[in-house]
Amino acid sequence: MLDLSPQDWTAVALSLRVAAISTVVALPFGIAVAMLLARGSFWGKSVLDAVVHLPLVLPPVVTGYLLLISLGRRAPLGAFLADHFGIVFSFRWTGAAVACGVMAFPLLVRAIRLSIEAIDRRLEDAAATLAASRFWIFATVTLPLALPGIIAGMMLAFARALGEFGATITFVSNIPGETQTISVAIYTLIQVPGGDADALKLVFVSIVICFAALLASEWLARRATARLHGA
Amino acid sequence: MAGAARYRASSRGLTMLVVKAKKQLGDFTLSGSFTSEGGATALFGPSGAGKTSIINMIAGLLRPDSGRILLDDDVLFDHAAHIDVPVSRRRIGYVFQEGRLFPHLSVRHNLDYGRWMGGYPSDPDAFDHVVELLDIGHLLGRRPGKLSGGERQRVAVGRALLMRPRLLLLDEPLASLDAARKREILPYLERLRDEARVPLIYVSHNAAELRRIATSVVQLEAGTVIARGGIELLDAAQADMLA
Amino acid sequence: MFVRFFAIFGFLCVLAGTPQPLFAQEQLTVFAAASLKNALDETNAAFSKASGMKVVSSYEASSALAKQIEQGAPADIFISADLRWMDYAAERKLIDTSTRVNLLGNKLVLIAPVDSKLGNLNIGHGFDIAKLAGDGRIAVADVKAVPAGLYAKAALEKLGAWSAAEPKLAQAENVRATLAFVARGEAPIGIVYETDAKVEPKVKTIGVFPYDSYPPVTYPIAATAESKKASAAQYLGFLRSAAAKAIFEKYGFSFLIKPVS
Repeated sequence: MLDLSPQDWTAVALSLRVAAISTVVALPFGIAVAMLLARGSFWGKSVLDAVVHLPLVLPPVVTGYLLLISLGRRAPLGAFLADHFGIVFSFRWTGAAVACGVMAFPLLVRAIRLSIEAIDRRLEDAAATLAASRFWIFATVTLPLALPGIIAGMMLAFARALGEFGATITFVSNIPGETQTISVAIYTLIQVPGGDADALKLVFVSIVICFAALLASEWLARRATARLHGA
Repeated sequence: MAGAARYRASSRGLTMLVVKAKKQLGDFTLSGSFTSEGGATALFGPSGAGKTSIINMIAGLLRPDSGRILLDDDVLFDHAAHIDVPVSRRRIGYVFQEGRLFPHLSVRHNLDYGRWMGGYPSDPDAFDHVVELLDIGHLLGRRPGKLSGGERQRVAVGRALLMRPRLLLLDEPLASLDAARKREILPYLERLRDEARVPLIYVSHNAAELRRIATSVVQLEAGTVIARGGIELLDAAQADMLA
Repeated sequence: MFVRFFAIFGFLCVLAGTPQPLFAQEQLTVFAAASLKNALDETNAAFSKASGMKVVSSYEASSALAKQIEQGAPADIFISADLRWMDYAAERKLIDTSTRVNLLGNKLVLIAPVDSKLGNLNIGHGFDIAKLAGDGRIAVADVKAVPAGLYAKAALEKLGAWSAAEPKLAQAENVRATLAFVARGEAPIGIVYETDAKVEPKVKTIGVFPYDSYPPVTYPIAATAESKKASAAQYLGFLRSAAAKAIFEKYGFSFLIKPVS
């Protein structure tokens, strides 16, 4: 039934890989920013909050374009990274991962931040009286208790990354095997005469994957919460 | 008992706590000034008198606006000298009103937490002694979510004790328990006072409770210390209430 | 519970893990005008079979491709649907001009959905395209930059139909998207290349634009300045061979040079 062409399967595999990497790499930043927003009080906090949420509200193509002019091969930062570290983003899967990571970041931060804010700070005070430094309080009390939110955030970010299109196609365009993710492949296929059938198959595949990711997120978060409270 | 001896050795005979602190809390000015020399000092007064705020300042959870707090030769807080030792370094145990056990850790890990964080070597004798003192041996594998209120408080006391505190603060530890639980736990607290040899600062508005536990009393009302003395102050206070 | 978390984390890492280097990957990347898709796919397959080299193609409007190459896209070969975008690339030193050759030609046609009531038309001066469209729109590629759109505009202007047509245009980002609009019945008529109409069974050609109404459609090919010289030369050589000529002509392109084979 699902006789997709090798190119289509490449798109699926690429999407999964890119989404996974972008989620994994975004996670430490997501936790750090969520902690800052949940617990910090500093000048510019609302500015940080707004910047973090920008990819949620900016047109994805705009985000992609901003990435292009900052991390593109001819852009200052992009050229520096390419010349000194050999790391290239534009028109590479690494760029697709960055685009996905950036677009999914606000979702990650929101979920983790909510989770952190829900933690009873009096528990953290108690840990402090028990000789735990700020770092250890974070590692042994805050982080474990925020785990359900972190998991939910990660799965949501993963699903969002899987579906990323606008920023991806603007920043890294459409190179099969390199940057042609599922969404881009579908978009390409609907322009190919007779490509509708294949496009629909890919649509089906992407719905199934996203559904599975969301269900898994629910289940994992619930299990983590139950385990947390001694079930 | 070897364990108790260890505790005796680790507390430096009579511990002296000097508190002279002032804090503005909204429209309420808190001004606490007292000295405590070992034993179990009660911080007694009606609700809202500022008792919890004072012990929070001793613990380092609340920062006074001015004054000094000294524990033996250690300056914990000195406004003029800009000294404010962080909570985690004061080595002052705290038993909270609601226990505040870590829900994601077992009872055993809760008990072990302070020792581990403080970097102390494992001391099974001390552990067993405290567990026996508080009769929580059968609860070790459980999670806090599965404990009754009384059991939780006992574990909270054990957790604070096992971090080898120089001083133990207790904030109305029996307040959230019903009369039957209170009667059940008081003996453990008396044993704590007698055997653990850690000086206690015990906050409560309940004179009857304090009469059994306290060896000295600091009376607080509307943010100020109005009397210092022995437990006879509790009788006077009770008399006032009946008058 | 931490264990579970790290298990998920680890699973995601494994998923991520096939060694794909952070650095540019070695393979022949061809950036080609959208209208070449079917013909070039077949040509590339033949080339891969003959040479053993892997070819990856990105098909988009020539304008988009030229801009991407300018931005540093890793193309080895550029095939444009008009001279202007190849000139654009040449001016910016993005291509190896010594390899530039005008390879293919094409024609501009008017199409309609296959079940349309419109029949064969004679397209000449004073051609009333607005009436043909009725209250629908005329599908064309972006007339400001995409070659197919530029040719279409030139033809309409030459035929005196531009001012009537302009407000009724539905512009798409490349000629294949234009084709798709008409194939789906979203637009009653559209302007695409003859070769596009040939591969889409859901449209029919209802008219051919007079050859002198637009500049001749020319597809120049070239290796990019940053290409792998040997492989690019081999590929371009294949495109100019008799084998490739046969494939292109099968799809309706005219082969402009003498095949080297």
